[in-house]
Amino acid sequence: MPHIQSGDLVARFYALFEGWGIPWIVPRLIVMLVVVSIIILFISVVAMFLIWWERKISAHIQARFGPMRVGGWHGWAQSIADGVKLLLKEDIIPTRADRPVFILAPMVVFAAALAAYVVIPFGPGLIVEDLNIGILYVIAISSLAVVGIIMAGWSSNNKYAALGALRSAAQAVSYEVPLVISLIGPVLLAGSLSTTKIVEAQRYLWFIVLQPLAFLTYFTCAVAETNRLPFDIPEAESELVAGFHVEYSGMRFAIFFLAEYANMFTVCAIATTVFLGGWRGPLLPPWLWFLLKTFFLLFVMMWLRWTLARVRVDQLMDVAWKVLLPLAFANLGITGLLVWAFS
Amino acid sequence: MTAEEILQQIRARFASEVRTSEVRRGEATLTVKADQNFEICRFIKEELGFEYLNCLSGVDWIGENEMEVAYAISSLRQPGKIILRARVPRDEPVLRSVVPLWGTADWHEREAFDLFGIRFENHPDLRRILLPEDWIGHPLRKDYQDERFVPYPWDDRKPGSVVRPTTA
Amino acid sequence: MTTVNLHLQQVKEQTGESMEEMWVNMGPQHPSTHGVLRLLIKLDGEVVRECIPYMGYMHRCHEKIGENRAYVQIIPYTDRLDYLASMYNNWAYCLACERLMGIQIPERAEYLRVLIGELQRIASHLIWLGTFGLDLGNFTLFMWCFREREMVLDLFEAVSGQRLNYSFMRIGGLALDVPEGWLGDVKAFLQWFKPRLPEYDRLSTDNIIWQKRIQGVGILKPEDAVSYACSGPVLRGSGIRWDLRKNDPYGIYDRFEFDIPVGTSGDVWDRFWVRRQEIDQSVRIVEQALKDIPPGPVLAPVAKKLRAPVGDIYSRVESPRGELGDYIIADGSEKPYRYKVRAPTFVNLSALPVMLPGYLVADAVAVLGSVDIVLCEVDR
Repeated sequence: MPHIQSGDLVARFYALFEGWGIPWIVPRLIVMLVVVSIIILFISVVAMFLIWWERKISAHIQARFGPMRVGGWHGWAQSIADGVKLLLKEDIIPTRADRPVFILAPMVVFAAALAAYVVIPFGPGLIVEDLNIGILYVIAISSLAVVGIIMAGWSSNNKYAALGALRSAAQAVSYEVPLVISLIGPVLLAGSLSTTKIVEAQRYLWFIVLQPLAFLTYFTCAVAETNRLPFDIPEAESELVAGFHVEYSGMRFAIFFLAEYANMFTVCAIATTVFLGGWRGPLLPPWLWFLLKTFFLLFVMMWLRWTLARVRVDQLMDVAWKVLLPLAFANLGITGLLVWAFS
Repeated sequence: MTAEEILQQIRARFASEVRTSEVRRGEATLTVKADQNFEICRFIKEELGFEYLNCLSGVDWIGENEMEVAYAISSLRQPGKIILRARVPRDEPVLRSVVPLWGTADWHEREAFDLFGIRFENHPDLRRILLPEDWIGHPLRKDYQDERFVPYPWDDRKPGSVVRPTTA
Repeated sequence: MTTVNLHLQQVKEQTGESMEEMWVNMGPQHPSTHGVLRLLIKLDGEVVRECIPYMGYMHRCHEKIGENRAYVQIIPYTDRLDYLASMYNNWAYCLACERLMGIQIPERAEYLRVLIGELQRIASHLIWLGTFGLDLGNFTLFMWCFREREMVLDLFEAVSGQRLNYSFMRIGGLALDVPEGWLGDVKAFLQWFKPRLPEYDRLSTDNIIWQKRIQGVGILKPEDAVSYACSGPVLRGSGIRWDLRKNDPYGIYDRFEFDIPVGTSGDVWDRFWVRRQEIDQSVRIVEQALKDIPPGPVLAPVAKKLRAPVGDIYSRVESPRGELGDYIIADGSEKPYRYKVRAPTFVNLSALPVMLPGYLVADAVAVLGSVDIVLCEVDR
């Protein structure tokens, strides 16, 4: 990542190419490529770990062991084996599907998941690009995923997939609103949209203490955003079999799966950044603190999934518009008043 | 109401319809002619108050060349059970449907139609229910033939084996 | 009115079909139809307008097989009807034959039948609770219920050597006496099992999402329940206090003390709650049966080759899913002339088209789950 302790490493790299008389675009492309590769690698490793972890957590909640064989120690290589299996599977596209859209859909979803990683601050300086509109960027990018989901649902030419996609669109639109508004509170406190600045602003006190309501609202919406139980109605297997990705198999399915876990990590990382003080913590290195907090939130998400039942479509909408949105607005109003009063 | 009283009332009302009637194990059992089956069922349901149709089952009495529909009727409010059997000729097995009285008769009658070929007039939707729609024949009839009932039906040379039926 | 709406309106007027409605096939391959059931559902957006069940994918003409087997030979086939409550199918069939032939079974066999039957009811309701949890998206409940159900299966394996298709009962009693120490195992199981029930409640009954999902959904009015001859928890959920164990006692159920839980409004919640409480009641019955089970033989002296006197019988028992009836016509030979099974789930399922319309797809799954169907029994 370009900003690791030395932004000047990158600067020297640029200068080197300039000295050789090579157009400025080339070194920048090389840097981008390297960064993207690192992110993709990171996402893959995290997602694989999360899948294995979730299987382990669910297994232990359900009085069983989960994967135990592949790789020796507690089946640690299970996700890798599954990934290889999915890679080697036959690529099936339904005859009546809309081919280009069908092929494009997982890419769109994954691209959206990938792009959000740009502004996640893993540590001081450990960030791809510290955009001054970081939070806004994440929200905008993560809404793009729903386009991919609708594409998948529509192009599959399957009634279940279409239903799932429609549900997903409705859900994403509904939950985006309280999600955004709940994030504005901390942003007001920090006085910046930049993720690094928000972490800096929590030097003395985590925003979860000042903004508990916003945290709860955000986290609920985040669970819904990532289509996880109890809000997983777009892919509710008991009703819609698998929802929008019912016709997908092999690697294309794996990409959806990967994107889901990548998204989980993103929303939890944002929650850590905005509410839990980001990388701040004593003794341990900052990046470790960041990961610890994020993984704790991920654990909570998994815990919820394996404990709760699924809500119904109308209840889902009710929760978003009648509970979360008023709460988020109330929080925003109170925060605004207090900030105005104390400034 | 004891079984005796039930039978008396039905006999008094439908004297000409009842063929046989007896009390067995405390249950009123009677056989009736088929043409009034709906009226008798309505009488049992509405005037005797037996509102619960437990079971409706077809029977093939091939020896007497008759088909039978047996209704097992009881009530959730009073003790007692009635087994009502309506007989129809085997080559023209048609009865009136009792679906207007009991919703449950819908599927039971479809099943009897499916497996016995008994037709029910006024049934809202008389289709096969358990067998595929294109099935030929009615398997629970005693004279139903299917090569799968006979071991090695294709082996004509084996003594005692049956030649595979060529017509459906 | 927008152009699109106008167009839809015109299409509706011309063809009588609404463009907004679509037919969706749920099943035969669908995770929530509990087997190979096909529901053809007409959807208006997410709302179910009409439902047509198709079944018969597992039809094997059980009744025709029965007509070609001797009375004793039918017992293993009855296992395959409701494979989640095989003991109860055995019992229903054997009871019908015993009534037909006038056989008295020994006291110990009666007690063991009640004991095993109620354990079977617990196991069956546990499976139902678990799969109902799956329908509502709660996978953990499923695994927990299966954990305890496995223990019941272990107990049954100890008596019959089988885990699913027991064929343990005989006309005239039981195949074997229970092994030494088995009754102690049952006691130990109950001791383990009773504290588990509040745990299930914490995942299901007490959970607000669970409650909101199933309250006021899939209402079956009492008059419909009677008209469609629903039985078991479906009937009781509609508020009708009717349990054959009390209202038409068979075996020795009149000696036991237990309550019949009933619902009030006939929605999915009531059916769920009735079954959940029935587990408690079954535990009570098992405890009572354990207390005063007498020693003695378990099989009445019956002939090797059984012949029933000419006549017919409709005999019914309260299986975990409702009224399981056997209609047997005997012609004096060693095979029944006609053998009909009144399958409770077949009859309960026929009320599904009444329960579904007007609710959402997600509710359709919950309602179907609350009927508790076993397709092997529906199709026979």
